[in-house]
Amino acid sequence: MSLLDALRHRIRVRLRPRAYLRELDEELEFHLVLDAMQREHAARGAMSAGDARFAARRHFGNLTSTRARTRHMAGLGTFDALLADLRFALRTFRRTPGFTAAAVLTLALGVGANTAIFSAVHAMLLRPLPFHEPERLMKVSLTSPAAGPEPANDDRIWSYPKFAVFRDAQRVFSELALYTEWSFTVTGGDEPELAVGERAGAGYLRALGVRPVLGRNFLPEEDRHPGAPRIVLLGDALWKRRFGGDSAVLGRAMTIDGEPYTVVGVLPVGFRGLSGRAELWLPMMAQSAEALGEAWGHSYTLVARRAPGVSVERATEEVRRLGAVVWENYPHPEDPTAAPWGAVARPLDATRVDPRVRRSLLVLSGAVGLVLLIACANVANLFLVRAMGRRREIAVRLAVGAGRGRLVRQLVTESVALAALGGAAGLGVAWWGVKLLAALGPGGPMRTQQLSGLGAVTFAPIELDLAAFVFAAAVTLATGVAFGLVPALQSTRPSLNEALAEGGASPRRGGRVLSGRALLAAAEVALAAVLLAGSGLMLRSLERLTSVEPGFDAAGVLTMRLARPIGMARDSLPGFHDRVLERVAALPGVVGVALGDCPPVNGGCNGTVLARRDRPTPAPGAEPPVGVHWATPGWFSVLHVPLRRGRLFTSADRQGARKAVIVSESAARAFWPDEDPIGRPVSVGQGGFWDDTAYVVGVVGDVRFETVEAAPKPDVYLPLAQSPNARMMLFVRTAGGDPMAVAGAVRGVLRELAPESPVHDVKTMAARLADSTAATRFSAVLLTLFGVLALGLATVGTYGVIAYAAAQRTQEIGIRMALGAGRGDVARLVVRQGAAIALLGGGIGLAGALAATRVLRSLLYGVEPADPVTFTGLVALLALAVVAANWIPARRAARIDPAAALRAG
Amino acid sequence: MAAKPTESSKDELLKGTLAMLILQTLTVQPMHGYAIAQHIERLSDGVLTVEQGSLYPALERLQQNGWVTSKWGESPTGRRARYYTITAAGRRQLGERVSSFERVLGAIERVMRPA
Repeated sequence: MSLLDALRHRIRVRLRPRAYLRELDEELEFHLVLDAMQREHAARGAMSAGDARFAARRHFGNLTSTRARTRHMAGLGTFDALLADLRFALRTFRRTPGFTAAAVLTLALGVGANTAIFSAVHAMLLRPLPFHEPERLMKVSLTSPAAGPEPANDDRIWSYPKFAVFRDAQRVFSELALYTEWSFTVTGGDEPELAVGERAGAGYLRALGVRPVLGRNFLPEEDRHPGAPRIVLLGDALWKRRFGGDSAVLGRAMTIDGEPYTVVGVLPVGFRGLSGRAELWLPMMAQSAEALGEAWGHSYTLVARRAPGVSVERATEEVRRLGAVVWENYPHPEDPTAAPWGAVARPLDATRVDPRVRRSLLVLSGAVGLVLLIACANVANLFLVRAMGRRREIAVRLAVGAGRGRLVRQLVTESVALAALGGAAGLGVAWWGVKLLAALGPGGPMRTQQLSGLGAVTFAPIELDLAAFVFAAAVTLATGVAFGLVPALQSTRPSLNEALAEGGASPRRGGRVLSGRALLAAAEVALAAVLLAGSGLMLRSLERLTSVEPGFDAAGVLTMRLARPIGMARDSLPGFHDRVLERVAALPGVVGVALGDCPPVNGGCNGTVLARRDRPTPAPGAEPPVGVHWATPGWFSVLHVPLRRGRLFTSADRQGARKAVIVSESAARAFWPDEDPIGRPVSVGQGGFWDDTAYVVGVVGDVRFETVEAAPKPDVYLPLAQSPNARMMLFVRTAGGDPMAVAGAVRGVLRELAPESPVHDVKTMAARLADSTAATRFSAVLLTLFGVLALGLATVGTYGVIAYAAAQRTQEIGIRMALGAGRGDVARLVVRQGAAIALLGGGIGLAGALAATRVLRSLLYGVEPADPVTFTGLVALLALAVVAANWIPARRAARIDPAAALRAG
Repeated sequence: MAAKPTESSKDELLKGTLAMLILQTLTVQPMHGYAIAQHIERLSDGVLTVEQGSLYPALERLQQNGWVTSKWGESPTGRRARYYTITAAGRRQLGERVSSFERVLGAIERVMRPA
């Protein structure tokens, strides 16, 4: 009870301090009135009411002090002081709008940029995965040793037979399941559509801890044998889109890839699977035994939940042991001497972002932190200048008995209040910055890079959330104290007499403080140098990347994907393709059209092996790998891929004709180092080109299929007509202007020819090319922004120091000029300090940059961390900034009128 | 309350004793500040005078600790006055203070009047 009473009282006092104080006054007044009445009464008429009141008042003693002490007891004393300090600070701000604006703007940029980057880091690296007890989730991968030209790989996916062995032997996971992302054609409604979905085992949702909001999960008994019932779980968005959110959807039929499925459940809003994009889920086992039975047909990712009480170490150990068990059951099918495969488990959380993205985010965090440091140094400098100007005020206050602690508190309150203003403005900057981050679109293009799907789960929403606000507030508070405390302590150092006697700042007095300020400015220059080196290197990488010849001409080319027409037999695909090409070619504005299976620079194309038929067949696993691509005859001319030797495909390369392939220059060099490849017999491990011998008919230029930065690998092209492939991409070369202008017409043709077959992924080739450099561009743009910001702040900071010093020395300069110093001498005098700052800061900065840019190595392309061009440019830029910072103060000093300066003194 | 060896020891003594006197006073009935001061002066035959400068801070402190609560009421003269009431916790506190006070008092007596 007492606790409650006390609490109630304290809260009331805090919440309504004015009411409390009013009541206290009323109570004291009551006391006085009563005492006066008592005295008047006791005097029996010998005392007037006024006298009695006066006596009571005298008897009471110091009323103000009583009030203050009571208030203090109530804990309102400090509160009052704080309010007074704040009011004083705000008055000061109003009196010095220029100073306030400069400081607030500087801080807003610093805090805002940091908050924006933090939001990205939080969204991508820190925020827990949105699943039940995510720390217990692990990703289990197969590992393969290096074999021939293939490097070792410790993140391989699974086949069902291998998984079955693993599942039945393991004791450390309470739930585990395979899943894979796939595109499904959904028909039977108004509009056919291509939906991203996942095939998943029954344990998938249980492992993640996700429950259907409607209906049921896949059942364990449906998970044992292939050929299980065709059932489907819907994502919330698909459910609302195709079924209008009807809760009677359970049991309804749905046509997926031309097969009937029954809806058994709906999953919660926001759940998009581990691929981050799925809208429907089909059971693993709703596939044929053949599709699932191939032990070396790896296509599934394995996710598992650790059983309670099982440590990461134990799970990792057990998985390593089981890797050997899987290998015993499924050794290499052809080579008994092959080095064994294994298995490895890692926390799901650790796999969610591509290491490159992780690194660039950490680099950006570091960079933006440096910007904040510079901003703080700048504001601290401003405060030091101002503290100099206020020495007299502070000295007077100390002299009349103000406590030093009280004054320091006042000054720090001022700096924190200023920081708060800056922080509030910084939130605005952060809001804008987060929009910019989203627009620069790491979510889109970075995801299509070979990011594991998990990136997408947490990547999607970069937003200003509570965590970002807390972060911004903490940063703001820290900066406020950081740049306020030192000047406060310094300016209240008790050397009263001097300050009072000298009546303000004098040339000699400034010396010590000034050198501290010059050091701050030098530190700013050094930090800016480090940042500029980083942004310079990223810009050079970007320049190198964009000047890479990708091997094709992206300008003017429109691309779109075409799903396989439902129910179309494999044999009628060539006819369908011919019709598509014919009709699209006839469209106005179209100058060329072709089909291929995979766009350049986007990764994810098929790979296989190639063997020369005129040589002994190499041992399995020793065949060199090649990229394999399907193309119609026009593909090379549409993308302007040059023919080097031989011929391109023609309409004569059809089914039944002799099989033809075209190889890239890299492939020609790799397989026929000193020979002419034209006419040579080969086998290609895909598209029915292994058993039949095919002949090389042409050599074309290299095309970068993986990424812009990856050197081209050997590639082989198969004629689409000789190896019908259902997953097709349409390439359209347009006459000029924006290729997207013909997209509508092309779609119209496709809708007409294949009404059941959805078109998707419509993009210009130029956009795909830009996407593939997005990650580098993202880092380069941001680092450059921070670098420029840093340089600007450092220049302004240096300028401030020099200009202030020059102003302080006006009198001295006047004397020197009166004694015969020339304008050049005076300018040199001023510049000397600027030069010292530049040399010290620049020197330290260059050394720091050489050390720091090493962390960038994995983000760079075609540039060394110690790139001489970058560093030369950096020195030039720094020199320029220093000249800019020195120019105005030096000119001003040189124009001082000695007579006026002396009189003013 | 006359001894003034040093500033701080005077404060210590005053604070603790005054709180005890106030709590003891409030066991009689709820009272306003002036009445508390009067009561203490009267019962001590004017030996103990409560400095007003100490009374109200002390009352505030007792409230902060939850040993007394206050409520506005009407005094016999018809003016609004704040009446203080001792809480159960206040009574416990009083008990502790009294016993420790008596212990100290006994000790002092033994020192001052050796048998």
